Amino acid sequence: MSLHPNPLQFAAGLTRGAPLPSRRHEAWKYSDLLRVLRELPPGSPAAEPSGQGPFAGLADLALVFVNGRGPEAATLGGVTAVRFISDATGTAHESRLRLRVPEGVSATLLESYEGHGSAYFANTLLEIALEPGARLERIVLADEPETAVSVSTADVRLSTGASYAQTVLTSGARLQRLETHVRHPGAGAAVRLDGVYVLAGARHADLTTAVDHEGETGTTSQLTKGAVRDTARGVFQGRITVRKGADGTDARMGHHALILSDRAEVDAKPELEIWADDVSCAHGNTVGSLDQDALFYARARGMDEATAKALLTEAFLGEVLDRMEHDGARELARAWLQERLQ
Amino acid sequence: MVAVAETVKAVEALAAYEHGFVTDIEQEFAPKGLSEAVVRYISAKKEEPQWLLDWRLEAYARWLQLEEPSWAKVVYTPTDYDALHFYAAHAQKPGPKSLDEVDPEILATYAKLGIPLREQEVLAGVEGAAKYAVDAVFDSVSVVTTFKAELAKVGVLFMSFSEAVREHPELVRKYLGSVVPPSDNYYACLNSAVFSDGSFVYIPPGVKCPMELSTYFRINAQNTGQFERTLIIADKGAKVSYLEGCTAPQRDENQLHAAVVELIALDDAEIKYSTVQNWYPGDPETGKGGIYNFVTKRADCRGARSKVSWTQVETGSAVTWKYPSCILKGDGSVGEFYSIAITNGRQQADTGTKMIHLGANTRSRIISKGISAGRSANTYRGQVTAHPKAHGARNFTQCDSLLIGKTAAAHTVPYIEARNGSAQFEHEATTTRLSEDQLFYAQQRGLSQEEAVQLLVGGFVKEVLQELPMEFAVEAQKLVAISLEGSVG
Repeated sequence: MSLHPNPLQFAAGLTRGAPLPSRRHEAWKYSDLLRVLRELPPGSPAAEPSGQGPFAGLADLALVFVNGRGPEAATLGGVTAVRFISDATGTAHESRLRLRVPEGVSATLLESYEGHGSAYFANTLLEIALEPGARLERIVLADEPETAVSVSTADVRLSTGASYAQTVLTSGARLQRLETHVRHPGAGAAVRLDGVYVLAGARHADLTTAVDHEGETGTTSQLTKGAVRDTARGVFQGRITVRKGADGTDARMGHHALILSDRAEVDAKPELEIWADDVSCAHGNTVGSLDQDALFYARARGMDEATAKALLTEAFLGEVLDRMEHDGARELARAWLQERLQ
Repeated sequence: MVAVAETVKAVEALAAYEHGFVTDIEQEFAPKGLSEAVVRYISAKKEEPQWLLDWRLEAYARWLQLEEPSWAKVVYTPTDYDALHFYAAHAQKPGPKSLDEVDPEILATYAKLGIPLREQEVLAGVEGAAKYAVDAVFDSVSVVTTFKAELAKVGVLFMSFSEAVREHPELVRKYLGSVVPPSDNYYACLNSAVFSDGSFVYIPPGVKCPMELSTYFRINAQNTGQFERTLIIADKGAKVSYLEGCTAPQRDENQLHAAVVELIALDDAEIKYSTVQNWYPGDPETGKGGIYNFVTKRADCRGARSKVSWTQVETGSAVTWKYPSCILKGDGSVGEFYSIAITNGRQQADTGTKMIHLGANTRSRIISKGISAGRSANTYRGQVTAHPKAHGARNFTQCDSLLIGKTAAAHTVPYIEARNGSAQFEHEATTTRLSEDQLFYAQQRGLSQEEAVQLLVGGFVKEVLQELPMEFAVEAQKLVAISLEGSVG
């Protein structure tokens, strides 16, 4: 098996022979891949797909990867499911997929990371191109074992007038990073980048985004929320760059997290990099515990503490799910959230 | 159009760096370049005890192992350490006993800068105006410290660093490097090896310092690095407010300023540290010359309920690399950071703070106002961390950037790290441009464009200016206005 050389992962050092990124690399400060991996494990063997995946019944078409083996490219339209299945123990595999949304077409991408086995390393790269006026809603649901190490990078390029919306839902892994890069041409193109992480045990999830506003009058709206407990660690890194000349850009970024136990951790790095003057950019970041007054109110109405906490956490995180457009996926996300908060 | 051209001309004349004069005095230099011999030379010049020489030499050995940091969003020609004098002193016998022994040229320089070295000048000022004591540092050496006698009455020690090494070695030895260890970072390490002078303050238990303390730094000699070291200790229940101001003459070559400031606050002590930094920013068109300001400032809130407040008005320097920080170790300790950073011309600033919450119920507050104009770049970089034992840690951060003109850049890079379940962190940041509507409105009311900009910027930075001691707030407000002249139009 060969790990594909490609610009993104090459930059991150995820290539055989090159040193793995560690906390010494600014971009990997909070997700030390070298510490959990030391070196790249041997290649994963071929395996058969199992189950129907979380989005079964919602998609017109399903593209399936098992241990890095799957199609090379696809053109999107309607609702497409892409399943990245890892069925491996102590081995590594890499998947790479090119997706295209043709001019004027609206599409939905339901992407799942399904982990079986343990202690595998999965490295995934998606290259998504939206042609002029195309619309894509990408919904990512990651469900991987607590021993897995998983890195997924999406490189999204928008043409003028395109619209891209994304919601990432994850419960983490031993170390999991879901990274999205968006090249934003401005010119009426719109981007929404959302995420929810619900982490327990010693799980780690890292939601990293970078939006590059290259042209005038582009908009970006970002909302990521998370809840961590036990000794879990949530990481949010968001960067919005507004290039010279990208006037009229309007970009908003929000990250809000709840720490539900004393030993859990949340690290955030919301960055703005502005090279144009006629812009309106803002970011907000809050980290804290549940509102004690609200908790007291719920308890006073006869709710036990666990239920009250789950209810308040669900309400807190639910705001992100409300922004999802695909009804079926949203309902599924609600059920997923409730299950994680039990 | 004629009127506009005239305004531009007038503004250009104004924008010339006001403090860009050179004082012609006899000076004594260390040989150019840095070596163990130069470190020994500096230490010998200052007649230092063996322990301090050993400390310097160890720092020098470590510095050789370190690499110059490159993570900041600044681009500059690296300093040629071999072409630099690491020590420059005005040629005269050390330790002037009174103002009469100080070179009149130096006194004239301070007079030009408006620093009231002579007590009587202060006393002759407005009735009821607060007094403030000044320690003046010219190139690398402390020239004179005022009001010493009056301060000594209440037990406050305020003197040059060299003097403190001679007179209170036990205090210096106990606290030097205890907040910023020599190997902390490249520039702090360099400073530890070659620092020449600076100010030393000790406030005894329970004493509220009766006046503002202040230091004025000026780089004068060419090709000279300035490496001053400030150490302020507020003992239990003590209180002090301290201000530093900086200027440098206009030069073609960049000069290096790498200071270290260490603050220590014991139980219930309070330190307020204000900076008005106005080093020469370099040529506005080419960026030539100007000061590299690579400074390490850190406060250790060692005692319970101690409080340290940093306020900075940064308008000068070609390149600024500066993060005044608070280690909130004592339970219930408080750290504050109020900052105005203005860049214009070709200036680059990467500045912010670190609030490290270690103790229970520690609180911090960060208010940062960045303004970028011309072709400058202004980065806020800040870190807020709550360690697992920092139960009930609280932080509020407000970080606003204002852009003036199409070629300016503003960046925000916060690091927020919460490692326990009872920490409560809030962070807000905005980046906007100077509102056309507001400018138009102000101009409709008869203000010139420059006045309108000053009014709006004044409103933008007001929250921070309010934190400065009153006398300096006035000076700082003027400085803000001067720094932005010629930025619109």
